[in-house]
Amino acid sequence: MSERTLRNQSRDPLAVEYSAALAGLSVVPIATFFAAFVVGGLTLAGQRSLGSTILGIEIETVLTALLFVAGGCLLAISVGSRYGVIETTPDRSAGLGVASGFGFVAFSGIGLAMSQTFGLGRLVWAPLALIGGLTVAGAIVFAREDLGVTVPAGLFSVAIGSLVLFDGLTPAWAWSPAGFGVTFNGTVLIPLLTIVAGLVTAWAAANAFEGFGAAGRQAGAFFLIGANATLILLVLLLLIAFIVKNGFWYAVDGIEIGPGLNFHWPFVMDGYDVVLNQKGIYPAIIGTFWLVVGALVMAVPIGVGAAVFLTEYAEEGRFTSVIDIATNGLWSTPSVVFGLFGYAFLVPRLGNNTSLLAGMIVLGFMLLPLVLITSREAIKSVPDEYRDASAALGVSKWETIKDVTIPSAMPGIVTGIIIGIGRIAGETAPILIVTADNPQRSSAPAIMGSFELTTSPPFIVNEALLSGSSALPYQLYGAITTGVVGDDPGYGWATAFVLLLVVLSFYVIGITTRIYFRKKLQA
Amino acid sequence: MSNSLRTSDSSDIENPTAGDGRSPVLVAGGATLAGALLSFLFVPGVTVFFVLAFLGVAVYGWFVHQEATAKGLMFLATISTALVLVLITAYLFLRSFPAFEQMGLEILYTNGDYWSRGDDRYSLYPAIWGTVLTTILATLVAAPLGVASAIFISEIAPSWAHEIVKPAVETLAGIPSIVYGFIGFTIINGYMMDNFGLTSSGSIVVVGVVVGLMALPTVASVAEDAISSVPDHMKDGAVAIGATEWQTIKSVTLPASFSGISAAVLLGVGRAVGETMAATVILGNVMQLPEPLYNVFGNTVTLTSLIASQYGNAHGLHMQALFAAGVILFLTVMALSITAQLIEARVKQNLGGEL
Amino acid sequence: MSNTQNASHDPAESNRDDRSADAVTQTTAGESQEETQTEWTDYEFRGEPKLSVDDLDVYYGDERALQGITMDIPENSVTALIGPSGCGKSTFLRCLNRMNDRIKSASVDGSVELEGEEIYQDGLDLVTLRKRVGMVFQSPNPFPKTIRDNISYGPRKHGDIETGLLARLLGDDSGEREEKLVERCLKQAALWEEVSDRLDDNALGLSGGQQQRLCIARCLAVDPEVILMDEPASALDPIATAKIEDLIEELAEEYTVVVVTHNMQQAARISDQTAVFLTGGELVEFDDTDKIFENPESQRVEDYVTGKFG
Repeated sequence: MSERTLRNQSRDPLAVEYSAALAGLSVVPIATFFAAFVVGGLTLAGQRSLGSTILGIEIETVLTALLFVAGGCLLAISVGSRYGVIETTPDRSAGLGVASGFGFVAFSGIGLAMSQTFGLGRLVWAPLALIGGLTVAGAIVFAREDLGVTVPAGLFSVAIGSLVLFDGLTPAWAWSPAGFGVTFNGTVLIPLLTIVAGLVTAWAAANAFEGFGAAGRQAGAFFLIGANATLILLVLLLLIAFIVKNGFWYAVDGIEIGPGLNFHWPFVMDGYDVVLNQKGIYPAIIGTFWLVVGALVMAVPIGVGAAVFLTEYAEEGRFTSVIDIATNGLWSTPSVVFGLFGYAFLVPRLGNNTSLLAGMIVLGFMLLPLVLITSREAIKSVPDEYRDASAALGVSKWETIKDVTIPSAMPGIVTGIIIGIGRIAGETAPILIVTADNPQRSSAPAIMGSFELTTSPPFIVNEALLSGSSALPYQLYGAITTGVVGDDPGYGWATAFVLLLVVLSFYVIGITTRIYFRKKLQA
Repeated sequence: MSNSLRTSDSSDIENPTAGDGRSPVLVAGGATLAGALLSFLFVPGVTVFFVLAFLGVAVYGWFVHQEATAKGLMFLATISTALVLVLITAYLFLRSFPAFEQMGLEILYTNGDYWSRGDDRYSLYPAIWGTVLTTILATLVAAPLGVASAIFISEIAPSWAHEIVKPAVETLAGIPSIVYGFIGFTIINGYMMDNFGLTSSGSIVVVGVVVGLMALPTVASVAEDAISSVPDHMKDGAVAIGATEWQTIKSVTLPASFSGISAAVLLGVGRAVGETMAATVILGNVMQLPEPLYNVFGNTVTLTSLIASQYGNAHGLHMQALFAAGVILFLTVMALSITAQLIEARVKQNLGGEL
Repeated sequence: MSNTQNASHDPAESNRDDRSADAVTQTTAGESQEETQTEWTDYEFRGEPKLSVDDLDVYYGDERALQGITMDIPENSVTALIGPSGCGKSTFLRCLNRMNDRIKSASVDGSVELEGEEIYQDGLDLVTLRKRVGMVFQSPNPFPKTIRDNISYGPRKHGDIETGLLARLLGDDSGEREEKLVERCLKQAALWEEVSDRLDDNALGLSGGQQQRLCIARCLAVDPEVILMDEPASALDPIATAKIEDLIEELAEEYTVVVVTHNMQQAARISDQTAVFLTGGELVEFDDTDKIFENPESQRVEDYVTGKFG
């Protein structure tokens, strides 16, 4: 019935034979990449200089050696694979993507060398660089995949290594491209190029590890995507570690415990008072506390109420889509715009000066879309069976909502609120515009003690609510702009530390609660 | 009582259970609240009476007709969400109108002499250009890295790595922007001056990268939702004829979630456009264009940092110009948000069909 | 015993071996009725065994979905797997091309050989396995691409068909071969007549039955030896079902077809031999289809096929 043209290839053996030589040669560049990343990273961060030594060897030499080792392994793979010493399953070509990538590297490399080092004019370097780039790209397209991947990557690594080895690129080397007010120094470029070359060789090696072909490309891609995820984790950890390292000791300095219940933590429990020589952020902490409380009182009833209405009562239609657009619009409105709005709308109506109350309302507006969106998701995910079961027992819709739907959605709603608090507690711009007056205050707003009844409207007043206040993020901003940080950097770091501690605690609690409830639901 | 209370739009709520004496409560509640709002807009002094009246009606309603009252209150909550947006729009436009009127198109583009308080001339051209540059750089960071981490989280990560990376990306979103700004100000600015020979503290490239890092979690989490909503049976089809996981991701999963991923990138761009504190603290906030225009190592100002750094001593036209900057920001971000929603709505429609 | 492979690398592997061994003893010793395993494993095939399954257990987490399955599936014939829902017949099918690897909680213990080659061995190339053992799913799942691209998807991914800029640069454009392949596969799947004039339309515009035949054509395009079908007609109307059934019988001339169905009439109509799975993930009887439906060894199978239980 049919000519089965492809039949022969389906008898491929099921198992793949791993060659130990291939595995060994391709693991090395991946290992050297990690080494280059660590050593180069330390150098870039200024922790080590290129001239200092690691294990008795100069760092510049270490980086050069890594480049040669990684490049050499790849070139060995390419030769072995080409002459059949190492068994691989490459495709006919590495493809246009790889070709244009390396072609672009060649183009920029040649172009930069010609124009900057030899000072050739645009008319000379541009065609030469173009020819070079196209030659590289063409060679990759027409070469077999194993060569097209390993040879350019290996040569790239070896070329950079040679530049450093033969003093084409020294730590003292500097290049200021015309038109940019910037100078690239050898001290930065050497570690940077080593890391880049390391990444390229490691990608090629991951490709080779699986013997090229579809499996190889998958390995290469997964390596890059995994490296990206690792990088993000690393950035997060470094950010946190950096702030903890710089701020922790300043923040906990001078803590006194005892005798008895006497506990004094100066940084957290004192105000900022030059006369008393106190440098604390107590007013800011209390300010942030009241801002969060006020925003919650504003946003939670409105947000949850609207979420219930939208999911349980309103039918999908023009009304809900208008609300959707409004909610998502509010969610993406920049915080500084909220600040301007508060300045125009609230400040003139609340005593014509910046006030805690205005900040509460503006932050409440910012929290509202977050609460609404997460509560709506939570209520939506309550299975209809629950509602049907309750309705089938003759329970009214409202009773069902009150007794069945909202309690089942509670974990989701609470998680959303907690994460929302984390977000608004760190908001600076609106506070800056509608709440803040003096960044370094000596005393905290006394909300509870300031309520007074009056005979004229509005019958109840609270002076503290209607005056300005500080808040943690604003305290940090104020410390930067008023120059406090310049004189006493530790104060800024310690404020950042406390702020991060407050905000991230809400995130950790929120995320943990969510994971806990999800696990409980699954079990 | 039954489910007959479904309402389809706002007009129904005034009168959902007409004839049993509940609508007066709703009308009274609505009227007092509207009164409160109007009085707050025009005569803030008497607002308290309306608020008290509203509370009275609400409490009465709660004890007498709980369901109708609850529903009415929730409806008012829903409306107020839209109302907040309306108020923001109205006040931004009202306050910025004189600036647009006086400066005309020069507020968007002019040659030289951008910002002069002496001449009372305010052009946002440098700030707009600064925002464009930082947003482009931020998108170059956030879009590829964000989409890559979304692919990692939803398709590639083994479960242990999933448990680590997903919360980590969320936590990254939680770091307050002022903290990023502080690190940029104290560490990175100095680093750039020491190692890259920059002559002034603050540069567009630093802001771009930092803001990109801040927009990354938005891109990652929205894109992850889009990617993981591609149904398994569609991917199974590719895997079952011997495509590798990566081939399946490239040729089935990513094309199918393409719209959702573009929505994610748009929302990330929106975050980058509106990011304020990091830009304010890191940049020099000088009202000048980088020289030449594409010099990302230069110093300038963005729309957001312009507002945050100048609102304190601004009056009259100067303040109105800052509101004009707010209007441009707001319109840009709303346009991005609405486009993203339209794309997502289309995705939902498509996925609701055969996928 | 057999080669062992755990998809989830469970440390309790050795325990599991013990448990499955226990289970086998229990089945043989505990069941005093006539259906001991030996009676039907002696069943003589007309052809060579294409797939031989030996003592296969599957777990989802701690739950055992299949226990001690042993059977040989003969070449170029239709083998039907029937049983009540939840009996593990689909799980069993997904073990034959290791689609269960995609379920994180699933672990497999036992041996499956394709022409004598173990598919649960270390270093197995899943791509090659799935090229040789194709699969068609319960609900039609064409890609949201054109009809032509659906067919050529597999060969493209395996580098057998290349079009586009790179292929033209290399002088390797296989556009013509693609046309031939598309035509052959669509004809084999009895879909050519219906779609030959709209190969560039989106496949999602086809009817359910057409989509399912397109999925079969897509599977044929990578030239498999075995085709696994998981209730391929359960989402279709009677006319489309009849077409798929005819197609299955035709395919059996060239391919080894294993089809899961919950429709006993369908199994009786199209299959050469039938395996009956019953609740608890055990294979109760495997024999010629006629024998299973007319004169099964086991009382439970008779009850099931006559509709007394199930």
